[in-house]
Amino acid sequence: MIALITPYWDSITLIAAVTGVIAMGLYISSSAGALSVAHAALAGIGGYLGGVLTTNFAWAFVPALVAGGLAGALTGLLLGVLILRMNPLVAGLTTLAFGETAVVIAYNIKYIGGGSSFYGVPPYTTLTVALIAIALAAVIGWRFDRSRLGRSALAVRDDDTAAAAMGINVNLTRLAVFTLGAGIAGVGGALRVHYILVQRPEDLGFFESLSIVIIWAVGGSYTFWGPIAGAFVLTFVPELLRFSAEQRFMVYGLLLAAVVISRPDGMIRRLPDGQRPDIQRLLRRVGLRRGGPDVHPVKASGDERPET
Amino acid sequence: MARRARWSSARTFERPTWGRDVQQFIQEIVNGLVTGSTYAVVALGFGLVFSVMRVINMAHPDLAMMGAYAAYVIIVLVLGGPTDLSLVVAIPLLIGLLVVGAAVGGFGGLMIERLVVRPSRGKYLLVPFIATAGVSIFLQNGASAIFGPNPRSVDPILPGGAVHISGVTFTSMQAAAFAISVAMMIALRHYVRATKWGLATRAVADLADVTSACGVNVNAVSRLTIGVASAMAGAAGVIVALIQTQASPFMGLLLGLKSFVCMLVAGNRYIEGILAVGLGLGILEAMVTGYISSQYRDAVAFGLMLVILLFRPSGLFGSYDT
Repeated sequence: MIALITPYWDSITLIAAVTGVIAMGLYISSSAGALSVAHAALAGIGGYLGGVLTTNFAWAFVPALVAGGLAGALTGLLLGVLILRMNPLVAGLTTLAFGETAVVIAYNIKYIGGGSSFYGVPPYTTLTVALIAIALAAVIGWRFDRSRLGRSALAVRDDDTAAAAMGINVNLTRLAVFTLGAGIAGVGGALRVHYILVQRPEDLGFFESLSIVIIWAVGGSYTFWGPIAGAFVLTFVPELLRFSAEQRFMVYGLLLAAVVISRPDGMIRRLPDGQRPDIQRLLRRVGLRRGGPDVHPVKASGDERPET
Repeated sequence: MARRARWSSARTFERPTWGRDVQQFIQEIVNGLVTGSTYAVVALGFGLVFSVMRVINMAHPDLAMMGAYAAYVIIVLVLGGPTDLSLVVAIPLLIGLLVVGAAVGGFGGLMIERLVVRPSRGKYLLVPFIATAGVSIFLQNGASAIFGPNPRSVDPILPGGAVHISGVTFTSMQAAAFAISVAMMIALRHYVRATKWGLATRAVADLADVTSACGVNVNAVSRLTIGVASAMAGAAGVIVALIQTQASPFMGLLLGLKSFVCMLVAGNRYIEGILAVGLGLGILEAMVTGYISSQYRDAVAFGLMLVILLFRPSGLFGSYDT
């Protein structure tokens, strides 16, 4: 199996990869403009189902993952229908309330452990599995970005009235991407529970979801590389800042504020149409790629974007 | 003759005791009012900043935490934890603590405005949200680094322990806390309704560009607003520290979440609305804790939010815009 430098960094990479899968789920769900603060809950539901299936019913790993994904997708569908016609702020708040309600419900179901968490999950997620999963998620994100659905979602996010005028079915698009992202988050949650081996009710709550939202927003909310970069950077940075426990979070908090102020789009910025990605321009300048100037270097469409 | 004997025994404050159920009910209401008033003060600050600047300041409850630690520093470290103070000394001390807490909170809020909010406003709603979340992490862990992660106990400074009236118990500190919170909110309401700057604040919250076109300095109003809101949060932190007799680095988390819920449920338009919802949430929590179980106390806020927002998405009393 693959091993990186030390087992310690193996586990950090694994966590980053699994978090990246969940963040990819959030990215896809929110690509139509409806920010969801419930994705930790969706992941947790997938985790509970996947964990229960492997532990209590001796399912194999991959079917349990699929089941977790389906559970997440189904819950996401219900939640998506609920928030479909709400304005964005209220929709976000509803997802917040949904997440916290899920915590309370999870606390009170004795079968899945209630307050003592669900434990005894077999450790199926290894570093290889996690890296394969994040690679698959990246491929899904890549294809999504270039697909009709992904572009429709971006159009809806930018201006839903204009998108509707272009013939895009706004409600269907929103629902479809939300469900898809929720399913991916469910798979991510099932992966996570097979590494951490415990699923607690608190992990479904608002603060966990907020961490995922921060990863998404800081990493880059307009491209599929964003959640991946965000997950890896924001998982590795606290580990690299190895001062005392409090000081490193102090630096982390300041870094977070600084990054998001200087790059409101996220670390990996949005590409205005026709412009080459920063990486390619850099490579061209260095001489590793041929080619002339940008094709139609169009400035990003104004600085007054509507609120997310 | 027997009845007469019963009434003649000297029990100064006791009337005929009510049934135990009524007593407990009223006790829950009293407790709820006290905690609810602190939620309302912090929620007001949140709501004020949001309606004027369209920014959710995630570090706002941590300003309350800073006020609480200011109280701790003064009471325990500077004064050595006095316990038996007479009213003559205690009341000015309390007022002094509130002033210091407000100053600390206000200073913190203005620093946050200058460094974090001003560069990140106007782009997306999420950017100042995350930036202030980063500041919040910084403040919480800073407090943890300076004072340690465990709660530090703060001696209550008002004299005289519990007061019992008809079987309902409360401490003088709780009564003072309630009174101070309500006083702050009445003062804010007066400010917003009757003073020039207050009217400007409401105008900016309603229609910022039109107000700017009428010659009001919107930036100055915004800064003043965040200063006032943060000062209120700092003072609220002092109160919370004195009621709970402790200050801890992460107390802002729960307080902030509940105040946020208050702001959402009440809507931004009316100060009285946030006051009512804050008190109501406190009472509801006390009822649930007393009659059902304390496990669900924190879930009450979210349940309330879910129910209300389903039917009245812009809050019970409406907001400026949504």
